[in-house]
Amino acid sequence: MDPLAELKQTFFQECEELLGALELRLQALDEGSTDPEDVNAAFRAIHSIKGGAGAFGCTELVAFAHVFEASLDHLRSGRVALEDAPFALFLRCSDAVADLVSAARNDEPARPRPDLLAALEQVGKAPGAAPAAAPPPPAAAPAPVAAPAPAADAPLGVAALGNLLAMVEAKTASPSNVDAGWGDEPAKPASTKPGRTIILRIAPESDLFRRVIEPRVVFASLPADDIVSIVCDLGQVPALETIDVSDCFMRFVVTMRTELSVEDICSRFDFTLATEEFQIEVVEDAAAAAPAPAATAGNAEVSGSVAADLSAILAKLGPASPSSEAAEAAPAAPVAVAAPVTAVVEAPAAKAAARAPANDAAAARQRTAVSVRVDLDRIDKLMNLVGEIVITQSMLVECVRSLPYDVYAKTAEGILTLSRQTRELQDHVMAVRAQPVKAVFQRMPRLVRELAQTLGKEVRLVLEGENTEVDKTIIEELADPLTHMIRNSMDHGLETPEDRIAAGKSPEGTIKLIAEHRAGRIVISVTDDGRGIGRDRLLAKARSRGLVGADEKLAPEEIDQLIFAAGLSTAEVISDVSGRGVGMDVVRRNVESLGGRISVDSEPGRGCKFTLALPLTLAVLEGMVIRCGADRYVIPIASVIETQHLASTPIEHLTFGQEVLRWRGEITPLHRLGAVMGSSGTRNENIIIIAETERGDNVGIAVDEIVGQQQVVVKSLEGNYGTVHGASAATILGDGLVALILDVDSMLRLAATGERPPATELKLAG
Amino acid sequence: MTLQLGEKHFSSAQPESAARRIVTFKVGDRTFGIDVGMVREIKGWQATTPLPHAAPHVRGVLNLRGVILAVYDLRTSIGLGTTDATATHVIVVVDIEDKVAGLLVDSVSDIVDVPVSAVRPAPDLERDEHGLIEGLVLLDTDIVALLDLAAVIRDGGVETPMAKLARAS
Repeated sequence: MDPLAELKQTFFQECEELLGALELRLQALDEGSTDPEDVNAAFRAIHSIKGGAGAFGCTELVAFAHVFEASLDHLRSGRVALEDAPFALFLRCSDAVADLVSAARNDEPARPRPDLLAALEQVGKAPGAAPAAAPPPPAAAPAPVAAPAPAADAPLGVAALGNLLAMVEAKTASPSNVDAGWGDEPAKPASTKPGRTIILRIAPESDLFRRVIEPRVVFASLPADDIVSIVCDLGQVPALETIDVSDCFMRFVVTMRTELSVEDICSRFDFTLATEEFQIEVVEDAAAAAPAPAATAGNAEVSGSVAADLSAILAKLGPASPSSEAAEAAPAAPVAVAAPVTAVVEAPAAKAAARAPANDAAAARQRTAVSVRVDLDRIDKLMNLVGEIVITQSMLVECVRSLPYDVYAKTAEGILTLSRQTRELQDHVMAVRAQPVKAVFQRMPRLVRELAQTLGKEVRLVLEGENTEVDKTIIEELADPLTHMIRNSMDHGLETPEDRIAAGKSPEGTIKLIAEHRAGRIVISVTDDGRGIGRDRLLAKARSRGLVGADEKLAPEEIDQLIFAAGLSTAEVISDVSGRGVGMDVVRRNVESLGGRISVDSEPGRGCKFTLALPLTLAVLEGMVIRCGADRYVIPIASVIETQHLASTPIEHLTFGQEVLRWRGEITPLHRLGAVMGSSGTRNENIIIIAETERGDNVGIAVDEIVGQQQVVVKSLEGNYGTVHGASAATILGDGLVALILDVDSMLRLAATGERPPATELKLAG
Repeated sequence: MTLQLGEKHFSSAQPESAARRIVTFKVGDRTFGIDVGMVREIKGWQATTPLPHAAPHVRGVLNLRGVILAVYDLRTSIGLGTTDATATHVIVVVDIEDKVAGLLVDSVSDIVDVPVSAVRPAPDLERDEHGLIEGLVLLDTDIVALLDLAAVIRDGGVETPMAKLARAS
């Protein structure tokens, strides 16, 4: 892949995460959160999307994101109070951004959203909401700009580079006037304003632009009126031949006269700068105010200096300080120098880092290097390799058995250790593949929102356990069942607001989506507080379809399970949302094909709960190795109920050769594995395995021998061959040979249709 | 078993002009060939696990360093019955479309370069080989039949009853 396409790919991946974050934060705000971090995070997310989109020339996306960002900025700056903010609109806009992103990703034309844009532009224009006098901050978010923004708003990354070039030119042209480049605010005498003088030293990491942050965005987060001067230090710029234009070499010294607290200033940089990238120094009032002219002179000096040296400022500002010492010591240890005149206040994290310098550098960098992006392919390869080791190890176990006892004992010990370590290694690799279910969960709020609108219902979605981790492959399979389950709850479960009020409930229904780990499985439940399953209607429907006999009596729980039967829908109106009676039936089949189970509990009038249990991985399963004739098979332990000797079980023969056995007082069909699967060699079929089918029925399977029980690595047969009836996949046993992993249901279908060899026997005329 | 994979150049006068490098192998007294680029590796016979109710030419699946692939018996495909595989038999592992497959043959003979112009179209052959042969090359005294691997793997040349019906009507 060419590097740009790769970058673009990464950008879209990030977009997904950012969109998720945006939505969650907006959701929280909509639900009444007043945490400023929610506002900041939402702003950050849309800002990053805009930045990346600009770099890749996604103009529609940039235009929309820009307006969106601007309206969010009103919230951030407090121009629009949180309680007045139209979060429903913002949420719809975040959906629209998601659409734009996916359009850009698929190179499709994006649907213009003039309605939303117009609505966004009204944000902050409400009478009295914004004090007209407040000038916009220097750069980042001017008053909402109309749609043709893309042209005006050049791609951010490029703009940043442009700035850099401009700076370099400025430096060469008139070194004494660099400050003019930032001339929004002419430097003011610091003393004319109330507050304290604060000096900010900003030394961004060289990856600043790649984080899609521009210096002007950093400055924009400070009140424009408070900024006395901004001086850029270009001392770090390398020789032109070696320059990497995507690196940031600028350092800044910002002098402010402000009433803001240090913490407040820190928090304004929350999403632009890492804590180790800036330092805040408060110049004590006493020191600063007394020699006011000195301070002014100091500022003038600062503005004129290209390489604004902190020590110089300190020297000018604090006449009491022995300036020569300060000048020498300052670059190395500003804290020490500052002591006589200034109080140095660092960001909290930087403080911690300062206490344990050097050796805890990793912690200080936490913000920038918490994770590594790895191609899923590589992890899959790693997992395959672990699978190989599991196989090799079971091969070793088999080899060792034939050794003489004394050698065996020693070797066995080593192998035991190896097997423990292998298991551990496998756990760790699985942990790498594991992902929080958040990836799927965060798609649900949008679904609920849109459905609520379509159905005219009021719904609150509660997510719990989003950080529960499960294998990546399972994550991918979760989206469909969850969508169906939520649709079902929204459509059939929850009542309309009027009905809810009539039933004495709050007009707003609640759907809870909860994930947790339980007994080596991930269990996900969807609970609603709606009307529950209409058992009478469901049963009547099942009777009319012939699924239940006319005089058959069913327990209430049994009736509930009918919801999973094919072709049953009790919705009075068949809607777009659900109601064709295919949903839950399909969900059940998909879930079961993954080795999972789904169940339902319902309480009439109180609500309904669907529970989904899935294995944590599809890569390894616990299996029972069985032999039939010359062939071996693996049957998943999850399907096995019990095993017994044929001799202890009476077999009866029905017509057409069908055999049944009586097991726990029930008539259970018996199939001979060798006949169904066409095993080679002679068979004695002494052992019967009682297995469970997807429908919960039991079936007997006659085999020759149970070889053992072990973990097996699931290998696809589809990859290089195709579907094999009767088997879900294959695995490699200790001796390197392949064994099929039986799929009980598929085997039974095979038994019903194909115990005789397939169609090749057909005699044809001609 | 020893393999002598010497290289014979068909014509040294024009070595580069549109030549095909062919791996040849034997089933009984017949010689077949495929492009060397399709061959991933050549390995000795290894027991396979039969698949239930598979087509007759599918010998089963085997484990090639963790990858499971199906092995096809070329003898069955050309209508000469089933190979009684022993340690001297050979599995030619090939890349075909996006899959990896094994081809069970008696032995691998040679790698030869043949000019494209020397490949003749397959004449109408006996029914069992219908569609399996892509072309013929005369090499010394041997006729090398170039295989259309996709066809071998698809239906092994043994037409399914449905296909026969379709052709008859």
